[in-house]
Amino acid sequence: MKAVGAMIVVNLDVMMARRKISAGELAERVGITPANLSVLKNNKARAVRFSTLEALCRVLDCQPGDLLEYVPDGKE
Amino acid sequence: MEWNRSRSILLSLCAVVLFAVVLLVTDALAVPLCMQACQVFLSLEGEELPLTLTVYIASVPGWICLYSLFRLLLNLRRGAVFTAVNGRYMRRTSWCCILAGVLFLAAAWFWLPFVFAGIAAGFMGLIVRIVKNIFEQAIAMKDELDYTI
Repeated sequence: MKAVGAMIVVNLDVMMARRKISAGELAERVGITPANLSVLKNNKARAVRFSTLEALCRVLDCQPGDLLEYVPDGKE
Repeated sequence: MEWNRSRSILLSLCAVVLFAVVLLVTDALAVPLCMQACQVFLSLEGEELPLTLTVYIASVPGWICLYSLFRLLLNLRRGAVFTAVNGRYMRRTSWCCILAGVLFLAAAWFWLPFVFAGIAAGFMGLIVRIVKNIFEQAIAMKDELDYTI
């Protein structure tokens, strides 16, 4: 395991696979660009607006906890 | 004629080009001008070489400064404002001003009024450096905003 700082991981891929929705379609329905969705999926985002989180939960029919995971310091 | 941001940048670009022409003329005429100045106006015999060298050596940071400002303005014209590249141009400009200031202060050994040019150049370098610091904060804030989804 690679040692990294504590971080919030965005588990979009799991929910997208469960709901069988593509990245392009998700981006369009949420109202963000595919590039921004990619930033979110690859954990490059610095912050997420509540409006974006609400839209993701609405489209993927899930809770914020299904998408966001806290990874403590020292684990990847 | 209505004034706007685009025309303001164009005016700044023209000013940079004008300063470049002035510097080019200064470099081209430095030798005869310094000779004449030393002999006729300043009564400094034997100081032509140091004065000429000062002009030529100080023009190097001057050219680097003008080039950096020109590239910075071109980026502003393209809409690329708060970028790391522009921050580097500003850093380069401030260091060139400070270097020119140091050169003029050293040359004051041969001709005392160079002290004023040295202080002016150093102060300009300080102002540009502080603006660069502000710029870097703005770049960090923009970066944070760009990665807020």
